[in-house]
Amino acid sequence: MIVDIVQTLLNGLAAGAAYALLGVGFTMMFGVMRRLNLSYGATLMFGGYLGALLASRAGGALPDAALVLLAAAVTVAGATLAGLYVERLCFAPLRGRSGVAAMVSSFAVWMQIEEFSTWLLPLHTNPYPAPFNVASWQLGALTLRPEHLLTLLVAVLVAILLHRLLRASRFGLAVRTLSDSPAAAQAVGIDAGRTTLLAFLAASTVGGIGAWLVLVADQQVTPMFGMWSMAKGLIAMMLGGLGSIPGAVAGGLLLGVLEASGQALFGPQIRELIAWGALFLVLVLRPGGLFGRAAFDLDIAAHQRL
Amino acid sequence: MLDVKDVVTAYGKIEALKGVSLSVEPGSITCLLGPNGAGKTTLMYTIAGILRPRRGSVRFGGDELVGQSADRVVNRGIALVPENRLVFPQMSVTENLAAGAYLRHDHGEIASDLEKLFARFPALKERRSQPAGTLSGGEQQMLAVARALMSRPKLLMMDEPSMGLAPLVVEEIFRIVGELNRDGITIFMVEQNAHMALKVAHKFFLMEQGKVTFAGAPGEVAQDEVIRRAYLGSAKAT
Repeated sequence: MIVDIVQTLLNGLAAGAAYALLGVGFTMMFGVMRRLNLSYGATLMFGGYLGALLASRAGGALPDAALVLLAAAVTVAGATLAGLYVERLCFAPLRGRSGVAAMVSSFAVWMQIEEFSTWLLPLHTNPYPAPFNVASWQLGALTLRPEHLLTLLVAVLVAILLHRLLRASRFGLAVRTLSDSPAAAQAVGIDAGRTTLLAFLAASTVGGIGAWLVLVADQQVTPMFGMWSMAKGLIAMMLGGLGSIPGAVAGGLLLGVLEASGQALFGPQIRELIAWGALFLVLVLRPGGLFGRAAFDLDIAAHQRL
Repeated sequence: MLDVKDVVTAYGKIEALKGVSLSVEPGSITCLLGPNGAGKTTLMYTIAGILRPRRGSVRFGGDELVGQSADRVVNRGIALVPENRLVFPQMSVTENLAAGAYLRHDHGEIASDLEKLFARFPALKERRSQPAGTLSGGEQQMLAVARALMSRPKLLMMDEPSMGLAPLVVEEIFRIVGELNRDGITIFMVEQNAHMALKVAHKFFLMEQGKVTFAGAPGEVAQDEVIRRAYLGSAKAT
């Protein structure tokens, strides 16, 4: 019984660590732009497709380890490059102007990138190079999957690096001021256009790493990956609270654990239902999410009423 | 020091500034009066480089500012204390002040400026690690002023610094404005509280519907019938 609970928690945290990275990328973009980037999932899918393309064209010619590392690099770089395309095309020209127009154009680019990716690899299921030949390790009654450990390790590493970047660098200060109050950020002389672009690229990279971790665990990529990764990122972000990076981390981990628990208790069919159910419950009970900016504002408002 | 000439700034088809001209003398406290919607904040944002005017010129110490980005304007020595204070609510007081020095690279000097400002604003020192959003309105205004000072401006623009604050706090802010001016900083402020402004300012402009409709010294302001009725009349009752 205890073993089952620990096993479920472990599975949930491992999946959740990847969701956390997906959510962090999404929420960073929202933080600096106050816009939802609907192309987010598609840019991650594009990265994944480049990795699979590499495997299909050069898979035999490369040693396994090199293929895995190259696929990782290509996936993260592809997601970042697609992010650059989206920012320049949808968001930069409309900065400070119509939010709806930017969102709709990012929807159009979502479809564009998805079509382009499936044109590169028309099959529905494409194998993605995975680093591990061992299926799993037994530790007493616990089953440890190597890709779970990889996910946890990489996610923690990325979280620490991102935290250092945002808290201890000049660029981080600029990003945080822009997320906190765009008008004041400009008043103190922060270049909003440049900071937004760089933050967008950093967010795409973080999302790309999250996507890579998921693909390594799945060992395949399908045309559904864009939609899927956006859904996970969105739920992680909203559970934690729009615009909050620690919130997205907590939201992602929570989502992973909820899904794993739901699956353990009620079977795999219930997994997605639990995720969306949790989202609605949080939005109704605490509309700002658990930790987000909106939650912060609500707390301030409550404090002022007292 | 600051010369604004025939500036037109528009939001889409609506012209908020319809050819504004005014000037701020070095070392002065210049006050801009005017009703809500007159375009005062638009003018401040235009000078600061946050809004781009459709035409006109803004010269500062001989340099043309129109077409320069907001960071270049700050670098030239103009700092804006925005309307509604606009501190960074989730960042600590110290981080807010660090953001004010964003464009500076003289780290030693920044640290000593920080200590000087903490001496001038002891309330901020006490709350240095608190998120700015948890400060009171008056403290947030002090923080917004201190943040602007961190860029070592020659010209400090303040957009309605007394808005929504208690009378004692307003007095404190005007006392600081006077002090800063005596330290050599030129002040250009938007203010609805004409009574307080009359005590410190050297020069007044009145803006209505996107145009400057009056310019004069404090004595002339008190004489002007329109301004008296709009900005000073009600105060007799208080």
